[in-house]
Amino acid sequence: MFKRSFEEVWPEMGPIVEKLLKQEDVSPKEWQQLFYGVHSVCMWDDKGPSKIFDWLKKDIVTFIKQAQRIVQSQIGEQALLTTYIVEWRKFFIQSNYLPLPFRQMESSLSGKHNSSNSLNSSSGTHSKKNGTASEDSIVRKTMLDSWNEHIFKDIKDRLQESAMKIVHAERNGEAYDSQLVIGVRESYVNLSSNLEDKLAIYKEHFEAAYLKATAAFYSLKANEQQQMFGVQAFIKYADAKLREEESRAKRYLEPSSYQALTACCVKVLVEDHLNTILAECSPLIKSYETERLNLMFRLLDRVQGGVDPMLRDLEEHIISAGLADMLAASDIITHDSEKYVERLLELFNRFSALVRNAFNDDPRFLTSRDKAFKTVVNDTTVFKLDLPTAVVNRGIKSTAPESKCPELLANYCDMLLRRTPLSKRLTSEEIDSRLRDVLLVLKYVNNKDVFMKYHKVHLTRRLILGTSADSEKEEDIVEWLREVGMPADYVNRLARMFQDIKVSDDLNSQFKTQTARHDAINIKILNAGAWGRCSERVSVSLPIELEDYIPEIEDFYKKKHSGRKLQWYHHMSNGTISFVNNAGRFDLDVTTFQMAVLFAWNQRPLEKVSYENLRLATELPDTELRRTLWSLIASAKVKKQILLMEPNCNSPKDFTENTLFYINQEFAVIKNGKPQTRGKLNLVGRLQLSTEKSQQEDNQSIVELRILRTQEAIIKIMKHRKRMNNADLQVISFKIKKYIKNRFVSGQAELITILKNMFFPSRKMIKEQLEWLIEKNHLRRDENDINTFYYVA
Amino acid sequence: MDTDNDNSLDRTDDFDNGDGKPEKMFTLKKWNAVAMWSWDVECDVCAICRVQVMDACLRCQSDNKRDVLGKQDCVVVWGECNHSFHFCCMSLWVKQNNRCPLCQQEWCVQRMGK
Repeated sequence: MFKRSFEEVWPEMGPIVEKLLKQEDVSPKEWQQLFYGVHSVCMWDDKGPSKIFDWLKKDIVTFIKQAQRIVQSQIGEQALLTTYIVEWRKFFIQSNYLPLPFRQMESSLSGKHNSSNSLNSSSGTHSKKNGTASEDSIVRKTMLDSWNEHIFKDIKDRLQESAMKIVHAERNGEAYDSQLVIGVRESYVNLSSNLEDKLAIYKEHFEAAYLKATAAFYSLKANEQQQMFGVQAFIKYADAKLREEESRAKRYLEPSSYQALTACCVKVLVEDHLNTILAECSPLIKSYETERLNLMFRLLDRVQGGVDPMLRDLEEHIISAGLADMLAASDIITHDSEKYVERLLELFNRFSALVRNAFNDDPRFLTSRDKAFKTVVNDTTVFKLDLPTAVVNRGIKSTAPESKCPELLANYCDMLLRRTPLSKRLTSEEIDSRLRDVLLVLKYVNNKDVFMKYHKVHLTRRLILGTSADSEKEEDIVEWLREVGMPADYVNRLARMFQDIKVSDDLNSQFKTQTARHDAINIKILNAGAWGRCSERVSVSLPIELEDYIPEIEDFYKKKHSGRKLQWYHHMSNGTISFVNNAGRFDLDVTTFQMAVLFAWNQRPLEKVSYENLRLATELPDTELRRTLWSLIASAKVKKQILLMEPNCNSPKDFTENTLFYINQEFAVIKNGKPQTRGKLNLVGRLQLSTEKSQQEDNQSIVELRILRTQEAIIKIMKHRKRMNNADLQVISFKIKKYIKNRFVSGQAELITILKNMFFPSRKMIKEQLEWLIEKNHLRRDENDINTFYYVA
Repeated sequence: MDTDNDNSLDRTDDFDNGDGKPEKMFTLKKWNAVAMWSWDVECDVCAICRVQVMDACLRCQSDNKRDVLGKQDCVVVWGECNHSFHFCCMSLWVKQNNRCPLCQQEWCVQRMGK
């Protein structure tokens, strides 16, 4: 190897470098010569590397200046841009090759220039450096920097402007060459000499210009579109353009800019027109234009808080449409539980479909739907239910009217579970799905305790009279109620009732085998705790035929059990009697009270008996006797009544002591318009389980339980907080409601419970209970501030 | 139930205007009698667990929420003092204190509910 100085080598290398820059053919030999030249200079000449570098730089600059002249000589934007891109592409490609022969020079240069730097980077980042060797190259950097300095800096504004013009043309649907725009962007990205943030220049200039141009273009277009084609068309336009711009951005912008571009488009296309767009929302909801709503939803969802007004619109619509619908049909639905529930479900399904189709079942919209539906269900304008109580207690003055919905739901359940025309018409699956529907609506009901009360009354009736359509279904629904989070003590009591019926059946067959002759009797001895602690017993003097059985049954029962006492619930018992008159012989299903009244005539079949005498004979309380007589005089089911009266009265209230009653000897069962000589007739009707008083007691027990729960909640919360200000009452009420909700579902957290709250304590009720608790020294009022309360341990 | 063809038969055993020895106008064919049973106690509430004696005691209710239904084991027990409690509650109570919680007399079982 012989020593060669820089001065000797460079004259050979210079032309080859120039050829490379110009992208002219370079032979393998020449290419090798470069490596060799650089190597020998670096090996033997101390100053060599820097000399090579200086000269190389000079050559590069010379070349760039030539290129600059070519580019600058172009006239017109398009030509300038095209030429620039051609030159830039060439240069950029070469910037990857030219540095290769000068590696050795670079390493000796960097070793000298910044040894500290190389020390730092040699160990940790070495492997990484190898991977991106060409990018770190000093030569490459010099090339790009020089390009930046000599060409790009001067014309970048013009380039950028031209690029934006192309984008603009593209947006207007005119011919365009997207490569040019991409070229400009690449120049920006690659010319960055800032290694920390390679996109800095791009971001500062190209992205900013692009965003600005986009915003300017669309803010103009948006107004134009609105004025020319209306808001509806504009919404469509905005949606289409948003997507178009997003895909355009993928071509023209770096990935880091996508978000900014989208935000920019959303701003000009949506946010700036938010109110105009939102004004369309309510009418669209009203006309169920799901497609357009869906479009609007997708559009507005891009804006922070953009859908909130839509939620409000939906909620308002559901409430007003729902209530209007209920009000319009109030005549039918107040009387017909089936129609009512079907109406509610139809409404619910309609709104659910709207939320599904227009808002993709978005959780926020589902919540709005639920909230609004709750308002509809609990509304009291169409019909309301009062829970009148006999006694004023614990500071409760009166109860607010409540929705009748739970009562009607329970009635509907009864129609499905009892043998009725409805339940006969439906298949088992249909009944199941309707029962599920009931539970669905029940979820929105605030006063679920009322539902449970009515459900239990209906169940009692079905079990006593044996009118269940399907006993399996009966037990199913009890389990469903449990699953759905109804309080365990309620549900257990219902389940206990089924248990009792089975126990009674066993008992009954034992009784029959032990006392062989009693085919006529069927006994049900039930657990008073489960069946109705509060319902009141009505006294009656039984016909001798029935009275005889009583001691026998009681003796039998005493032998089987001990420590128990029996109470006869004659208002629940019933039976079949046969009735013989001039027209024929008929079997009548009657209540025990009806039996007591009718048997009074057995001693004097043809006599007219006064009200007063019937009262003495049956010993029924006044209201019960009137009701029973009326059921025999004016049964809606029959053409000919069993009992006739004198003089005629229009209602049971008009009976006087002297009103006379007598058996209709011409009574006959009418079938197909013809009187029959035999036949069966059910006069039980709706088994009267409760008297007015016991109903009041029932209501009382509901209200009392609510009061207890509210007090419990207040105390629990106060125990924790110790002190409460009236200003916190809002917060506290919320907590109380939450507490009451949770209390009922405790222990069943794993079940996602839909039936959360059994009732909804009103603010008034909470306040009243606060007062009561203060009175009873559980809480104390601050001496100086009547609005502050303390917990008293 | 159509009975057109036994018209003639009916006539004979029809009710005949009340004289002679008639069949009664109304006769019982079937009676479904309903009664409620409850423990024959003086106080409805068990003084130990504060639950109605007719319901299962607090422990039984929480121990096996669902299983309570199957069995009615939570019976009542009367002491010589005539006070009554859930049997479950009382059997735990006497382990600590063999006196009636209400009257402090020595606890002695008089009878058990069944």
